[in-house]
Amino acid sequence: MTGFDPLAIRVFASSVAMIAEEMGAVLTRGSLSPNIRERRDASCALFDADGRMIAQAAHIPVHLGAMPEAVRAVRERGPAPGDVWLLNDPNHGGSHLPDLTMVAAIADAGVTIGYAAVRAHHADVGGMSPGSMPFGATELVQEGIVLPPICLAPGGVVDESLLALLLANVRTPGERRGDLAAQMSACHAGAAGWRALRARDGAALVDAGASALLDYSERRAVARLRELGDRESEAEDFLEGDGVSDDLVPVRVKLRTHDGRLTLDFAGTSPRVRGNINCPVAVTRAAALFVLRSILDDDVPTNDGIARPITILTPDDCLVAARWPSAVAAGNVETSQRITDLLFAALANAGVDAPAQGQGTMNNVTFGGAGWTFYETLGGGQGASHRGAGPSAVHVGMSNTRNTPIEALEQAYPIRVDEYAVRRGSGGRGRHAGGDGVVRRYRVLERCTVTLLTERRVRAPKGSHGGGDGTPGRNLLNGAPLPAKCRRELQPGDVLTIETPGGGAYGN
Amino acid sequence: MTHAVGIDVGGTFTDLAAIAADGVVRTRKVLSTPDDQSRGVAAALDAFGAAPGEIRRVAHGTTVVTNLLLERRGARVVLCATAGATDLLELRRQERASLYDLSVGHPTPLVASDDVIAVRERREPDGVRLALTDDEITRVVAEAAARDPQVIVVALLHAYADGAHETRLARALAAALPNAELVCAHEVLPEIREYERTATAVAEGYARPAVARYLARLGQTVGERGHPAPSVMTSGGGMRTADEAARAAASLALSGPAGGVVGAAAVLRAAGFDRALTIDIGGTSADAGLILDGEPLVESGGDVAGVPIALPRVLVDTVSAGGGSIGWIDDGGALRVGPRSAGAAPGPAAFGRGGTLPTVTDANLVLSRIAPHPMSGGVSLDADASRRAVATLAERLDVTAERTAQAMLNIADAEMARALRRVSVDRGVDPRSCVLMAFGGGGPLHACALADLIGTRRVLVPPHAGVLSALGLAMAPERREAATSVMERADRLDTARVAALATGLAARVEGAVRAWTARTRYVGQGYELDIACAPGDDGAVIAARFAERHRARYGFVLDRPAEVVAMRHIASSHAEPVTFSRHGAPTWDDRARVDDGSPCSAVVAGDAVITLPDATLFVASGWTARALATGGWLLERGAGEDGQ
Repeated sequence: MTGFDPLAIRVFASSVAMIAEEMGAVLTRGSLSPNIRERRDASCALFDADGRMIAQAAHIPVHLGAMPEAVRAVRERGPAPGDVWLLNDPNHGGSHLPDLTMVAAIADAGVTIGYAAVRAHHADVGGMSPGSMPFGATELVQEGIVLPPICLAPGGVVDESLLALLLANVRTPGERRGDLAAQMSACHAGAAGWRALRARDGAALVDAGASALLDYSERRAVARLRELGDRESEAEDFLEGDGVSDDLVPVRVKLRTHDGRLTLDFAGTSPRVRGNINCPVAVTRAAALFVLRSILDDDVPTNDGIARPITILTPDDCLVAARWPSAVAAGNVETSQRITDLLFAALANAGVDAPAQGQGTMNNVTFGGAGWTFYETLGGGQGASHRGAGPSAVHVGMSNTRNTPIEALEQAYPIRVDEYAVRRGSGGRGRHAGGDGVVRRYRVLERCTVTLLTERRVRAPKGSHGGGDGTPGRNLLNGAPLPAKCRRELQPGDVLTIETPGGGAYGN
Repeated sequence: MTHAVGIDVGGTFTDLAAIAADGVVRTRKVLSTPDDQSRGVAAALDAFGAAPGEIRRVAHGTTVVTNLLLERRGARVVLCATAGATDLLELRRQERASLYDLSVGHPTPLVASDDVIAVRERREPDGVRLALTDDEITRVVAEAAARDPQVIVVALLHAYADGAHETRLARALAAALPNAELVCAHEVLPEIREYERTATAVAEGYARPAVARYLARLGQTVGERGHPAPSVMTSGGGMRTADEAARAAASLALSGPAGGVVGAAAVLRAAGFDRALTIDIGGTSADAGLILDGEPLVESGGDVAGVPIALPRVLVDTVSAGGGSIGWIDDGGALRVGPRSAGAAPGPAAFGRGGTLPTVTDANLVLSRIAPHPMSGGVSLDADASRRAVATLAERLDVTAERTAQAMLNIADAEMARALRRVSVDRGVDPRSCVLMAFGGGGPLHACALADLIGTRRVLVPPHAGVLSALGLAMAPERREAATSVMERADRLDTARVAALATGLAARVEGAVRAWTARTRYVGQGYELDIACAPGDDGAVIAARFAERHRARYGFVLDRPAEVVAMRHIASSHAEPVTFSRHGAPTWDDRARVDDGSPCSAVVAGDAVITLPDATLFVASGWTARALATGGWLLERGAGEDGQ
């Protein structure tokens, strides 16, 4: 028993959610790269002294369940109070290399009282191709500089030689330095908020509140799972090639709900592949958490408590539980989407009403030229549900980044956007139509390379309850089709067109 | 005696405050008339009963635009957009409406996709790539004419930097379609980011005809009574004549809430403070705001009723927590409050109008924080009904009604404190450096608890707390704004260039008091800080001030140049001079504790309840309230415990 007043749980939930929100505001306002400031490809979370996530600002679902791994990896290394650590190694708390995760051990009177963590997708972390979202990578080291948890700022003071080492290995060091400063600033905001809350309400009460809040979210999740009763189902889906070969890559799951618990067994899923669609188990867990979270009411506080009723079983060295030296850049963005589709399909097969499939990809587009890199992901069609049509031109599943304004993009880079439109008619047809995808047509003004990591170019997003499938996406260079995953050298005047998939319909 | 009059239209009441030449304030409250707000305004004026010539100024805050957007009752708009970028309103910024609820969509755009006309032209950052030809203009005019629109909005890519194409096309459209209203996006909002600029211009077009009609009716209503033409509060806290406001409809979207904070600022200055957090608590929601250096904080962006309007607005953070918010227990066993509200009908159980669910007002009654005096509108409070409603929750929680009531207040207070922290901490302002200004019907009830949550040790309950918005309108200076895109590195702006920009803006608007701000950021950043500047400054001075602000706000500075994105100018008249004071024969009684605005110098230690006109002040234990000579009360934590 924690002794925490159950009447005060929601008060405490507001207090900690506020701290995470403050961190997010500081990060987006202070950062330099369009990917963080315009697209908000970043997440902020607050952890207690035991490394339990007690609040996360609602930004990017793929970060949601994966951040606790980062804090665990840092804690294993015994950070001193006030230290600020940095990591991106998928084998030690990271997701994929561009996600630089900063973890600050919050000090109070010489003791660590909690952790503030900020994960942000940086536009370049070195490696074999500009933007560090390479096509054709087969080893992690090709994808960028690998940072196991390192103490970037002992006692909060930046180790300039360590920072210099990092910046010497990336293509845009000035921008990285600015974004890291903003991340540090956000960590400080989180630390200040947590210290102030404990000073105001008393450390013992706040610690009890953290436990009570986690228990509360767990109870909400368990209550929902109990409502589903005992169910079992299976589902299967495929990724369209790993970047090295075009062979379909299977993902399979056995789902069971029983006594308020959710068990997901990924037996039958492909072993690790040569290309970079492998993902660490933290990302798999994030997908499972997202799917469970999406069948809970919107107001349930997002924290570690929701994860408690979930058990994940994976075969050794599997596609969805990747180990060193697997390459993983696309796993975080694309395999995570496929796992989400897979789990929704398993829920539907178990008789739980789930929406039809959405676009199921983030459409990763990375340009790189002399002295610049530009990365963005594109929205598409959401699947329809029993409640109505699927929204058009939005990010689905594990992403929720914003677009880059045409005017901001054209001001900053030698790229022009000749068309940005709804891809009419691409959503599936049925009682409730699937959402439409988008068309984005780029014209480059300089020689540069483009890397595409996309999915659902062959296999359409499925309709549900007899609804029609969405239209698969297309990638075109000067009108000629490109593969789902590829890298091309572009000449001035070349035109790249991305047509993103429509969502599936619901009902016929 | 002549008066400056402010009239604020709210959801339930239309409030009037009149300031006489000697500084005496008179107030009236009448029921609002949502179908045509000008009838409520007329009723308020009639209730005040001034003869022609006795009112020299009428200032108005309105929710007409907000309601129009909420109810989607605006004009049919045709949008002319650059070919290739005609779907911007549907594409929005591509994020979904809810992170976890996958079936929720965004509100339908204000322009149907069939009513968007593609214009073959293209400007790029470095110049025009595809010229707008006369043939193309002729074609677009014909397409527009075929749709017979009420309003045409022209919004082309990169027009923030060069509006020539927009202007040429709009002129041709206006000549061919004399009955249609024309709006150019670069004139509404000369700033980068195509979606926000286009959406703002569309909101302007959508609201303009109805706003123009309303303001004409209002002018007639006021004029018939022999009073001067009204002016209207903008979202940014400025004041425009009705004629100007009719052509700046989008800038009125948050006229009402802005009036509250502007009013608070005026009263704050009169009370001798310059920095405050404000909380205005009504029946269904609470508005938090911030006042720095005696002025409301103004920012750009945000949306109203799902419609993005990227114009300057007085910062107001609204949360669904008010007197009518309902308490309930969720499936995780936690006590919750809101967002559902009992509203004015059926209202809290205490109102005896059929409400049986326990609300925040009922919780306050159970804890005896509201004295059983009759409220405005003839409502009398039934404490037993409140207790019965709260008891239904208490039984399920197996605790006393008092404890349940206290927990309900704690939950509502936490929501409101979160809004107060967002408007302060997120802007780099330490709430402990502010006085908390609490008003609206519920503000003074929650003030002490909120102050404790955010660490503020002083609370100001202003005089006329129940009609503060109207009072603020009456006091607010006339204020006009102008802006221009700059987009240059600060170190390349010399004194002459800054002066030319500043005087160019000044020539566009009238006013005795002038202020300029340079919207500045580091090259590569996406958000600007507003840096005060004036003729005589050069870019280096602006850059230095920017670095100082950046450090204060974000905790770091960068080794890279700053750039000025835009310059804004505000020209205002002098504020209405008011000397607040208490009037009449003293009536204060230390036991009854009713403050009717008559002279009083009481000092009251908590716990105590003080009844104000249209509001109740709860002085919590550990707090001491002192009646101010200006009217209103100042509360301090821990001071003067022996003062009673």
